[in-house]
Amino acid sequence: MAHAVSTSADLDSVPVFQARALVKTYGEGEAMVRALAGLDLECRSGELVVVLGASGSGKSTLLNLLGGLDTPTSGSLFYRGWDLGGADEAGLTRYRREAVGFVFQFYNLIPSLTARENVALITEIAADPMSPEEALHMVGLGARMDHFPAQLSGGEQQRVAIARAIAKRPAVLMCDEPTGALDVSTGKVVLEAIERINRELGTLTLIITHNSVMAEMADRVLTLSDGHITGVKHNHTRAAASTLAW
Amino acid sequence: MSLLDLKLLRDLRALKSQAAAVAIVMACGLAMMIMTRSLIVSLETTRDAYYRDNHFAQIFSRLKRAPNSVASQLAAIPGVATVQTGIALSVTLDLPGVIEPATGLIQSLPEQGELTLNRLHLRAGRILVGRESTGEILVGEAFAQANQLQPGDEMAAVLYGRRQHFRIAGIVLSPEFIFEAPPGSALPNNKTYGVFWMPYKELARASNLDGAFNQLSLRLVPGASEPAVIAAVDHILRPYGGRGAYGRASHPSHTRLRDEINILNGLSIGFPLVFLSVAAFMTNAVMSRQITLQREQIAILKAFGFSNGEIGRHYLKFSIIIVAGGTALGVLGGVFLGERLVDLYHVFFRFPALNFQLASAVVVLAVLVSSIAAIIGVAGSVRAAVRLAPAEAMRPEPPSSYRPALMERLGFGRLFTVTFRMALRNIERRPVRASLTVGALALATGILIVPNAFRDGIGHVLDYQWDLIQRQTVMVSLIEPSPARTLADFKALPGVILAEPVFGAAVELRAGNQFRRLSITGLPGQAELYRVMDSSGRQITLPPEGIVLSRKLAEVLDVKIGEMLFVRGLEGKRVEFSVPVSGLSEDFAGTAAYMEISALNRHLGEGDRINAAYLTVGAAQWNEFLRAMKASPRAGSVVVKNKIRQGFRETTAQSIGLLQQIYLTFAAVVAFGIVYNSARISLSERQRELATLRVIGFTRREVATVLVGELVMLTLIALPCGLLIGSGFARVILMTVNTEFVRLPLILTAQNYAFAVLVVTVASVVSALLACRRLDQLDLVGVLKARD
Repeated sequence: MAHAVSTSADLDSVPVFQARALVKTYGEGEAMVRALAGLDLECRSGELVVVLGASGSGKSTLLNLLGGLDTPTSGSLFYRGWDLGGADEAGLTRYRREAVGFVFQFYNLIPSLTARENVALITEIAADPMSPEEALHMVGLGARMDHFPAQLSGGEQQRVAIARAIAKRPAVLMCDEPTGALDVSTGKVVLEAIERINRELGTLTLIITHNSVMAEMADRVLTLSDGHITGVKHNHTRAAASTLAW
Repeated sequence: MSLLDLKLLRDLRALKSQAAAVAIVMACGLAMMIMTRSLIVSLETTRDAYYRDNHFAQIFSRLKRAPNSVASQLAAIPGVATVQTGIALSVTLDLPGVIEPATGLIQSLPEQGELTLNRLHLRAGRILVGRESTGEILVGEAFAQANQLQPGDEMAAVLYGRRQHFRIAGIVLSPEFIFEAPPGSALPNNKTYGVFWMPYKELARASNLDGAFNQLSLRLVPGASEPAVIAAVDHILRPYGGRGAYGRASHPSHTRLRDEINILNGLSIGFPLVFLSVAAFMTNAVMSRQITLQREQIAILKAFGFSNGEIGRHYLKFSIIIVAGGTALGVLGGVFLGERLVDLYHVFFRFPALNFQLASAVVVLAVLVSSIAAIIGVAGSVRAAVRLAPAEAMRPEPPSSYRPALMERLGFGRLFTVTFRMALRNIERRPVRASLTVGALALATGILIVPNAFRDGIGHVLDYQWDLIQRQTVMVSLIEPSPARTLADFKALPGVILAEPVFGAAVELRAGNQFRRLSITGLPGQAELYRVMDSSGRQITLPPEGIVLSRKLAEVLDVKIGEMLFVRGLEGKRVEFSVPVSGLSEDFAGTAAYMEISALNRHLGEGDRINAAYLTVGAAQWNEFLRAMKASPRAGSVVVKNKIRQGFRETTAQSIGLLQQIYLTFAAVVAFGIVYNSARISLSERQRELATLRVIGFTRREVATVLVGELVMLTLIALPCGLLIGSGFARVILMTVNTEFVRLPLILTAQNYAFAVLVVTVASVVSALLACRRLDQLDLVGVLKARD
């Protein structure tokens, strides 16, 4: 794992993620569900990938596997050459701690901590973090650092969640329906923050959504259905998040 | 079964370990209440029936000697129903195979028929009746059991200086000796002290009391005035060396039993109340969490048309089921513990049959009390739940608001890690819950202090009495006062290193309206073997003129140092004199008065006399000494200090041991229950928070630290509070125990505190670990994707 978190230039040639014949099933016998049915995928540093798909398409399962929240049933999954698919519980925890930043639909901030402290939670345990203040400035919340979640709007809470996710300078930023609980204008501000992180820090960013409008801001758009990748689209020019409308 | 009831059962199954924790804490309170109340009922009904059936007397007196004809004078006193006269004598006993002598009290059986008062209850063998004089004796059960004596066994006793052999005819019980111990002693010592009965003629011959008596018992007609009869008895017995009549309130066995019932009374209210409050609080915590979790369900039920009443009843049933479980467990536990304690009481209190009687009224009361506690516990959250409009209830609860904790507002925030701040703010956000948790844990710590404080108090008294005050090896009391030169005879016995004289004179001490009858102990001014000590542990030199009183006696008589005390002799020339109070001594058992021996003898005007001696005996010649002692004609009784001490230690260990076990269990249960429940509730409330921490890379251990951090803090606050509360409990309970006869000092040792802290810490850690195991089952993804 030690080398896995390295972001040095020689590793840029190695894909961040490399998945072959990735299968994930839940349950057994007749009740068995194939959430991922033999999926191949490669993602590189600096990419912004949007994964589209309807409910049950397997997009959340993919995020769980890539994010180190779950392990595949079969197939191989490598993170910078490290066998993420075969990692044990402790290995997954370290992977999440050092390499991944998560942004969820429902923010999941700690209500008893201020914005600054929610970010500091990560910076206290990460190896080479930015300061909480720096992270919050990046998402445009420099002025509301000492507010508690209950005192922030939904969009602000989500931006705190993004600041928390990126403060550790992760190799990967995983966003699961990041605007799902927000109105359009607030959602755009959040997407702008994600876009900025991707651009300025070169973080591989995966956005999972059923909102196809977001596809325009991606380098690459994957469409999932029934556990397979059924479509891949490369955007030669990414649309700015501020220009999106839904 | 209605669908709501089905839901209830399934919800309960999901909550089973928390419901069990609440029920068990409740059961502890109920068990304690049922155990103590039932013991009180058992002791009181058994005692009353025993007193009634065996005609326990109401007034008692000892005297020097009165002709039997005086009995009719006593019977003529208005209000007296029955008079029984007899002989009572101290004896030294010689048991086969036992080297150290035992002492005891031997009493006469009437010449005709059975005793009319204080009738004996036969346990084994037969009762001695009539004029037979066959060298047979009846033995009290406690002594017989402790020394493994059976009917038919032989024993020797030194009676009035003459050694005699007796065969045991029967083993008996007497209502006069339910507590079979020397007067004034708090614990029995059945191996070295016993009570005996033998026919009047034989005893009278042995003590030169033929045709006379030296003790009497009276029963009154209903409505008679006890003080008036006591005054009349004292008046009649005055010429015969009456030592003052007294009622049951001063009867040693009766008062010891009464004190025990008083202690139980205290325990039956205080502790259960606290336990039940804790259980009510736990029910409240569990139920309010359950109701919060089921907010949406409640809304749906209401949307479907269920009434507030139906929903309210549904949740009340929830707690009623917990109460029912707790009550069932509590009754079983109470009966189980009660039965074991009854067995223990048998060591202290001898009844024909002491059976555990379940105080059924108490069970009803217990059910009522705990139901009310549980209903109060849930009423608030149920009311809040049903008051919500369905539409509002279906929306998620707004995020909880927090603010920086007091410590941070005071500027200490920078010193704390983020997770520590989380714990601080969580505690501050729910101050009531936090203080109740602290209260419950403090209680668990506190109740552990009590039995050990008792043990240490008794230990202190024993050490004080027998290391600091009484430093003799044996105390020999003489059958009658002898000239001072008799001491030389004792000094000459084999192995005797040091011998000091003692003279005890029965007197009445009076100051103003207050008076007490007791014995003034005359000792050498600077005695080596019996040292009168002051409260700071320094020896008091007995002055050539003046009297030293125990602090308690001075308090009872309301006199201070320098004030005069009026003394009236109750024996011999019955002189009257006044002495100044020259000092106050510290002692723990009974009340005592000391004077320098020659000053005392000078006042009494009957020459230099002694009636006891303290001896130190070299270990090398111990057996020789005892043989010589048993053969000595002057020795009325021989008390070996270490023997008594060992007996006390065993009895203490036995009685405190069981109490300690009970309290230990209860404390562990409360600590375990409260920590487990708090951790589970906190786990449920903070699932999302904890899952988030796991997802962003906190290890399981780090998350567990966040979960229990708060509880660790609360426990740390609770422990010192608990030690304070426990010390308070011990102080209050000792105050209940302490009387004019027995005083236990409050001794609180570091070991006692350390033990309490250890038990609560271990119970808390174990339960926290158990609760933390649930963290492994946390569905990270599921929790995070769900709405709050």
